[in-house]
Amino acid sequence: MAAPFTLRKIGVPPNSANLTEARRRVFDFFRAACRSIPTIMDIYNLQDVVAPSQLRFAISAQIRNNSHITDPKVIDLLLFKGMEELTDIVDHAKQRHHIIGQYVVGEGLIQNTGNKDQGRTDFLKNFYTSNYF
Amino acid sequence: MATQFSASVSMQTTCLATTRISFEKPALISNSGRTNLSFNLRRSIPTRRLSVSCAAKQETVDKVSEIVKKQLSLANDQKVTAATKFAELGADSLDTVEIVMGLEEEFNIQMAEEKAQKITTVEQAAELIEELMQEKK
Repeated sequence: MAAPFTLRKIGVPPNSANLTEARRRVFDFFRAACRSIPTIMDIYNLQDVVAPSQLRFAISAQIRNNSHITDPKVIDLLLFKGMEELTDIVDHAKQRHHIIGQYVVGEGLIQNTGNKDQGRTDFLKNFYTSNYF
Repeated sequence: MATQFSASVSMQTTCLATTRISFEKPALISNSGRTNLSFNLRRSIPTRRLSVSCAAKQETVDKVSEIVKKQLSLANDQKVTAATKFAELGADSLDTVEIVMGLEEEFNIQMAEEKAQKITTVEQAAELIEELMQEKK
């Protein structure tokens, strides 16, 4: 078996200069996350619950969710948050039900779901802004 | 890149040469004593390894195609040959990285980033995998 992958914690690197470098960092983050999957499955005993390919898909879905962003600084911030989440998970700072609820089954964290203001009509939006519409 | 190509060409030529010789050897093995036997064994095993690493094996290509199909959720009858590019099958760059990760898990290898970035077809992926598996042995 190849040497197990360990997540090295480095300080915050300077901002990426352009979109290409931000892209490279996104792929590096994705690779680091995928290589930590065996450790994660071992820590939280997910062997019977989920397959590594499902976890990979969950990670890539979250990355794809933000794929429309073009500002390198925003991408850096999102990567920082992603890295923070990954470090927390690998450090066993979360618990099994967190992982299962956020990445395996269900809709995940409420704060990550899209804007629920998009209803069928703009009634409430107009209602909040003024009386006359 | 050029040196790799020339090396693979030279390996191919030695394959053709040595396969001819290896067929003559077994007759000697049955007649001669132990020393000759070990000598022949030492000669035949490296040639077998050389003949395998000439081009990507069909079973490796098949395994890779299987993983690609599963990853991109393609229909089972979709043709995925060695020369198919991932982009043709509707994969974007993140999908390519995910496929490479799936291959890493399946074959228990670690791919260097620069090499992994250059993978565009199934054939390249299979060759890289075999290269890494040989190095591991």
